[in-house]
Amino acid sequence: MPTPAQPRHIPLSQHTIGPFFPADFFQPGDNDLTRLSADAAPTTQGTPFLLTGTVRKEGGEPVANAILELWQADAAGRFRHPDDPEGDRADPDFLGWGRAWSTAEGAYSFRSIRPGSYAENGRMRAPHLNIIVMGIGLMRNAETTLFFPENAQANAADPVLSVLPEDLRHLLVLRDLGKADGVQTYGFDILLRGPRGQETPFFES
Amino acid sequence: MTKASATRAYDPWPEGVQPSVPIEGYTNTWTHTPSQPAFKRPVTRTDTTGPAELWRKLVCGDNNLAASRTGKLAQGLLMQVSGRILDEDGRPVPGAIVELWQANAAGRYTHALDQRAAPLDPNFLGHGRVRSDENGAYSFLTIKPGAYPVPVKDTWWRPPHIHFSVLGPSTLSRLVTQMYFPGDPLNDWDRILNSVGDEGARKRLVATQIHPAEVGVDHLGFRHDIVLRGRNATPEA
Ligand SMILES: [Fe+3]
Repeated sequence: MPTPAQPRHIPLSQHTIGPFFPADFFQPGDNDLTRLSADAAPTTQGTPFLLTGTVRKEGGEPVANAILELWQADAAGRFRHPDDPEGDRADPDFLGWGRAWSTAEGAYSFRSIRPGSYAENGRMRAPHLNIIVMGIGLMRNAETTLFFPENAQANAADPVLSVLPEDLRHLLVLRDLGKADGVQTYGFDILLRGPRGQETPFFES
Repeated sequence: MTKASATRAYDPWPEGVQPSVPIEGYTNTWTHTPSQPAFKRPVTRTDTTGPAELWRKLVCGDNNLAASRTGKLAQGLLMQVSGRILDEDGRPVPGAIVELWQANAAGRYTHALDQRAAPLDPNFLGHGRVRSDENGAYSFLTIKPGAYPVPVKDTWWRPPHIHFSVLGPSTLSRLVTQMYFPGDPLNDWDRILNSVGDEGARKRLVATQIHPAEVGVDHLGFRHDIVLRGRNATPEA
């Protein structure tokens, strides 16, 4: 499976203000969650997928140089962290974290493995991906959570997705783009600012 | 790793600590800031956890930004910035990844897009990544950044500042912020600093200068603690 491309574009902003990161902070593999570090072997647990999409601002214009950070559970729905009661059984080869950078066309991509679901306070969290968007013009991190299209039933019961009015929920469900080289590919376009019904729903952080 | 601990509760951001957006005179905030209010969600462990051993993925460098790869010192006032990364209860956060970037002494970034007519310093890259120690402490040696103008109709200048990106123990404590210098007249006119409505919170964005008698002749010293969250949080920027 090919490593998603991360062209090293420069920011295209009218001023050099705001939280934009030096290009040196991005290294090949930062957007590949299947590897704990650049020199580690890929995790053996879970099913890989590719996530591709764009970041756009008002008017649907692409946002270059946005920083996206992805955080998710491992294939069994565990986080290797003291807050997870099963944290010590989490996949030791899976960090659960990655960072991508949008190109001049606003495109970003991640490679990861499908997260599992987990129970908390008597409710099931559907498999999900947490995304933080940062960059020029965003004084606060924009946080949202993405859900998988195959899990309609689990998604409907998810305590976070259920917070949204019903007509907005579909905005947080990945698009099925079929298989590329045998790997399931999903699409997700982020619209930072736009009319209700098109703007990506974000959560309080 | 402790077992079976409950999902930690996090305080909501108090009034006036997060910047008020969009910002007049910062054009991009008017096209990038979401127009709809953020949804309140129940916090589950997906929000209170974060990557263990992140330094294996984000490799940390040394903490000397002032001496470049050329082996020569950068131009400008040498200074050391040190402090602690703290959680909402003032407890140190060990192993946090601290990324920082800043302009050179003339107020210009070593960055392809920053084409302002101010000199570049071949001996200054202006960014680094360090890791907080077991006491939550971080420090780095650098030079004091210069101010730079924001070219809008109502010109304003960014006061000298250092950008910080901190990856702490959880998604909820992820913080991007800026550090300012005490007593700079430009602070009062900075639209980004003043987008934080609460005066006490604004003050937490300003570093404290350490008395030179404590620091010595090699460089100036500034102390800057960063509180990732809670009632004493260092505001986002
Ligand atoms: Fe700056």
